[in-house]
This record gives sequence, C-alpha cells and structure tokens, in this order.
Amino acid sequence: MELLPQATVDGLLIGGIYITIAIGFSLAYGVMHIIDFAVGEWIMLGAFLGYYLNLWSVLDPFILLPAIFLVFAVIGYLIQPLVYRVISGKKGNPVLMGLVFTFGLALMFRGAALTGFGFYSHSIPSAISQDSFFIEMGSVFITIPYVRLAGLLYAIAITLVLHFVLKKTDFGRAVRALSQHREASGLMGINAKRISSYVYGIYVGLSAMTGVIIGSIFTLNAQMGGEYTILAFFIVVLAGMGYLAGVPWAAFLLGLVQSFFLIYLNPSYTLMAVFGILFTILLISPKGLFGRGV
Amino acid sequence: MKGRTKVLALLLVLAMSVPVWADEARDFFKVGVITSLSGSLATGGNVTKRGYDLWADAVNAAGGIEIQGKKYPVKLFYGDDQSEPAQGASAAERLATQEKVDFVLGPYASGLTLAAAPVLEKFKIPMITGSAESPMIWKEKFRYTFGTIPPVNYTGSAPINTIAGLNPKPKTALILGSNDTFSKATAEAFQDAAVKAGIKVLKFNIVPSGQDLIPYLSAAKAMQPDLIAFGGHDEELIKLVKALNQINYTPKALLMHYGVTEPAFIEALQKSADQVFGASVWTESIKTKGEVLWPDAKSYADAAMKAYNVPADYTQAGSSAAGIAFQMALIKINGVPPLDEKKRDELVDALEKLKVNTFYGEIGFATEGQFYHANVGLTPLTIQIQNGKVVVVGPDSLAESKPLYPMKAKK
Repeated sequence: MELLPQATVDGLLIGGIYITIAIGFSLAYGVMHIIDFAVGEWIMLGAFLGYYLNLWSVLDPFILLPAIFLVFAVIGYLIQPLVYRVISGKKGNPVLMGLVFTFGLALMFRGAALTGFGFYSHSIPSAISQDSFFIEMGSVFITIPYVRLAGLLYAIAITLVLHFVLKKTDFGRAVRALSQHREASGLMGINAKRISSYVYGIYVGLSAMTGVIIGSIFTLNAQMGGEYTILAFFIVVLAGMGYLAGVPWAAFLLGLVQSFFLIYLNPSYTLMAVFGILFTILLISPKGLFGRGV
Repeated sequence: MKGRTKVLALLLVLAMSVPVWADEARDFFKVGVITSLSGSLATGGNVTKRGYDLWADAVNAAGGIEIQGKKYPVKLFYGDDQSEPAQGASAAERLATQEKVDFVLGPYASGLTLAAAPVLEKFKIPMITGSAESPMIWKEKFRYTFGTIPPVNYTGSAPINTIAGLNPKPKTALILGSNDTFSKATAEAFQDAAVKAGIKVLKFNIVPSGQDLIPYLSAAKAMQPDLIAFGGHDEELIKLVKALNQINYTPKALLMHYGVTEPAFIEALQKSADQVFGASVWTESIKTKGEVLWPDAKSYADAAMKAYNVPADYTQAGSSAAGIAFQMALIKINGVPPLDEKKRDELVDALEKLKVNTFYGEIGFATEGQFYHANVGLTPLTIQIQNGKVVVVGPDSLAESKPLYPMKAKK
C-alpha cells in the first residue's frame, strides 16, 4: 500500500505524455477523417528541431516550444492541400488513400532523417530534467520529477486550450461543423479547405512540440517515430476515433495500467497488459471507451 | 520454333547459366555482412559496419589478402537485417544463394546472430560476428559460427567483482535487463556474479525493450539499492540514466554493459554519464601487439578516428578483428576465391586452430565447452566514464585510474 500513491502519480505522469502524443492525431482524424501514419515522424522532426535549436541557442527546450509550434504549424498548413487532394479524390477509398499517403510520408521523413541526422540517439537537456519533488509522510512517499510534471501540465494546458477553442470560438464551431458533416458545413459558408489546413497545421505543430518534450524526458533519434505512431493510434482508438474529449481518459487509463503493472505485477508483461485491456475494451465497446468514436 | 517459344527457350538457357557465372573464377573475396543498418539496433549496427568497412579498406589499401604471392582484394556485400531476426535470416539466405559469398561478417545483436547462424550452417558458410555477446549463441555449438567478443557470462563478472571490492562495499543490488537475448544474458551474468560476490539482489526483472521505467525505478528507490546494474542497448541505457536523474536517485554504483563505451552515450548524457561503470574487452589505451594491419590499439583508434571522426569502441574493434581472423585463416589454408564447400570447411578448421595477436588482443576461439567458438583470448575489463572519457578501472593489473566511488549526485 505504501507504493499506491507513487504508482498513481507515475501513471498520471505517463498518461500526460500519452495525451500530448495523441491529442493532435485525434483532432486531425475528427476533422479530416485521416489516419495520419506520419504522426510519429512529425514528433521526431519536432524533436530534432528542438535539439538543434537548443544546441544553437542554449535555451531551455520548454522555452522553445512556441517557436517549434509556429514552424511546424506553417509546414502542416502548407502540406495539407496535398493530403486533402489525396483524401478527397473521387477514385478509391479516401481513408485508405490517406493512410497510404501518410505512411509514404512517414517512410520518406524517416529515411531523410537517418541520412541527415544519423543513427545516434540524442537528448535535449533541460534545467528541470535533473530533479524532483519528494514528499514523505510516514511510510508513504511520492517522487514527482519536475520535467514529467511539466509534461503533464503541458498536456492539460493544450487539452483545455483545444476545448476552449472548439467550444467557445467561431473557428471551433466551424471545425466541429466540418467534423460533423462536411457538405452541410460547406452550405453554411464554411471553407472546408481552409479550416482543414488550419487544423492540420495545429496538429502538426502540437506533434512537433510533443517531440521536444519527449526528447527532453527520454531520447530522440531518426527512427523513434514508429513507436509513437502506434502509441498515438492505440490511444485514439481506445478514446474513440475522432472523439477528442476521450483522449485524456484513454491516456490516463493506459498510463495507470502501465504503472501498476510495473510496480505491483510482473514488469515483463506490462505491454501485454496494456494491449490486453485495449482489445478487451474494444471488444465490449468497438467505438472506444465512451462509445463516441466515429 | 515460334517466336514465343524461342524467347522462352532463351530465357531458360539464361536462367540455367546463372550459377555457372556465379561460380566462375574471380580474383577477389566476396564477403557477406549481415548487420542492423536500420531499425531499433541501427546505432550498434552501424558501429559494426564501421569496423567491417575499416578492415576491408585497410586490406584493400594494402592490395588485398596475400595468398601464395598473389593479392586478393575483399568486396563487402551488405544485408540489412533491419533489427529483426526474420530479416536477418532472409539476409543470410540472400547472401548465400544470390551473392554466393565466401564467408560472412556477422550481426551486431545476439538475437540476429541466432537467426542467421542456422541458415549459414545449412549453406556451410563460415561467419564471425564481431559484436554478439550472448552465451546462447555458443550453447548451440554452430560449427560455422564464431565470435571475436567473449560472451557476457565470461565478461560480466569483471565489473561486479571490481565494484564488490570497493569501499564501502555495496551490500544490495537492483538488477534488470531488457527483454532481448543479449540484455537478458547480461542481467543474468550480473546477477550470478553479484550473488557470488556476496551482494544481496533485492530485485531482478526482465522488462520490455524501450519501456518507460519511471514507475519501476520510483518503487525501487524505496529499497535504496547500493548498486543498480542494467543489461540493455544504447538508447535504453540513456533513458535509464535520465530516469534516475529525474527521480533524483543516485546509487553508490551504476553499472551497464555495452553502450557505455559508445560515443553517443557520453554525447547524450554529458556530465550525467560520469562515473557510470561498464564492461569491455578493449579500449584504445590497452597494451596490445598486432601482427597484421595495425600494430597496436592506439594505431587502430587513430585510423578509426581519421576515417569516421568518431572514437572507436570495443564493438567496432571486435568487428575489424573478425575480418583479421578470416584473413589469417585464409592465408593458413591458401584459400583463393571463390571458396568451394571443401575449402570453407578447411577455413573453419583453420579458424578453430587460429592463435593470432592483433591490435585487439589475442584471438583464439574455444573449441569445446560453454564458450565453443567464442574468442576467449581476451581479458575482461571494468571501465568507467571519468570526465567524459572511457577509463579502465579494473582489474587492478590493467587499471589506468582508480574507480570514482561512491557515485556523486548530479544535482
């Protein structure tokens, strides 16, 4: 029982990282109905920009986040018309075409990164990555690493900002309308192409910022993308495809399962437990935890 | 014959003539290389590639391998195993059947070596791995597979014994390994050595590769282990050190195996890499006397630095030494390319009898027992990162510096 508070805190901290990985992916799917298999590569590219900017400027990676977001949001905005063209074609299955196109993008980015950045793993140093809060109450103790707490706060912040933007602004209403019915929203005067470009830009920017946080907490290398693509996909499926509000709960659930398994049960079977729970929930509720997925 | 029949007949003749072309006389050796050029093990795979390339470049710069007065250059044929055992086996098959290589320089990782070895056994093609360290490989007693780096159950006890001899002696240990062939064997070797050295193992676990270990380490922090020993690969080691920093826990000693000597480990962790212990069999400062290509460890290290602008570690050195072992065995049997099955068998016999001093140390493969076909001519070293450099701290007879102990908190 002494480890219960620690296991819970660690689970929430891991969940925070998972939110950052999946929330942009869920937004893009919700609006554009695209399963973007390049999400991990956007994370990787953002991590490398953060790494080189940190080397050059010696600024803390967390201070660099807005700049990273801006750069990649513009890139995403510019690339979106290509994606839009692929998924809005009259021939073929648009979802499948989008999946194949982004998978190709992912392979291209990975290959280019291997050539350009090499195969070594790197780390982005942060002033807050070497210390933690330590709380001790009798036999109970909790360690909270600063850098992971910052990751969790960042995850909560982007969730709240996205929630506010989607619910309280005209742009958000347009996004929601587009996500609900593309043709009808067009009839109401919403420019689907432009809104989709903004959304894709936001998604790519968020993913790139996540890369910097991951590089600061863990490591970064040219081949890291695949792992995070799978993770993002699983969390979004568990949350319900395109159901943004489900992402934090799905991420926290997976984080807590992972943490409790590592601490109380056999660490060897952690991933099996995570996937077992995912499959069980999907068997019971194929549209995700809340039955609200597309 | 009609036109279509003529074309088919021509294609048939061409297809039948391919093996004849492949086996025709050539004046260079075809050397297969199976290693991880992509995938999760690409860092280590590329280290082995540098080692193999450096050997081939050095041989070719001298005109080739001299056999009965004639020099035969070597040409490397790469097979990327993509860090996946199934791809490793496919690469082995392709090199054997399509490229028809004379011999093979083997994979970076043990799991990949275990996948490629049975395939090469089938085609009777000798392989020397310059990197794989799991004892599982040698337990299989493959006739055609050799290795220049001793297995971890031969080397793993050295750093534990060095640490156990320090003052104050560590009393407790947390030992964990990543879930792959090499890492598991490393963790088990650490555990056996710790028990023998009188260190109480508080917890021993095998964890999934790439796992976020923060919850595990936070729980372990409550036990306050004096020693944390981890079997894993480069990226996992970096993540573990970062996780320990994040929870602000500094054991008396932190021990890892391969990866500590990789330049990326120090580059990624900078000051956090300091005082981490590791195991090795070669550093550029050890005293060796080479009979061929490089006269000593320093000259090899200089050549490697000149070629790649990255310091060489023991895996890169072991990979170049694998090439030298083949080179010397070929000279012994007067083997000229292409090597047929009989000659490849002779090559295996020559490798078993080989005793050669190289820049890397003595190469001599065991011919019986648990280390069958592993190189047992080397002395296991305990190394430690001190001020960003790899320094030998044990055994006492070879130590360049005293171990920095207990570990200082990074805060």
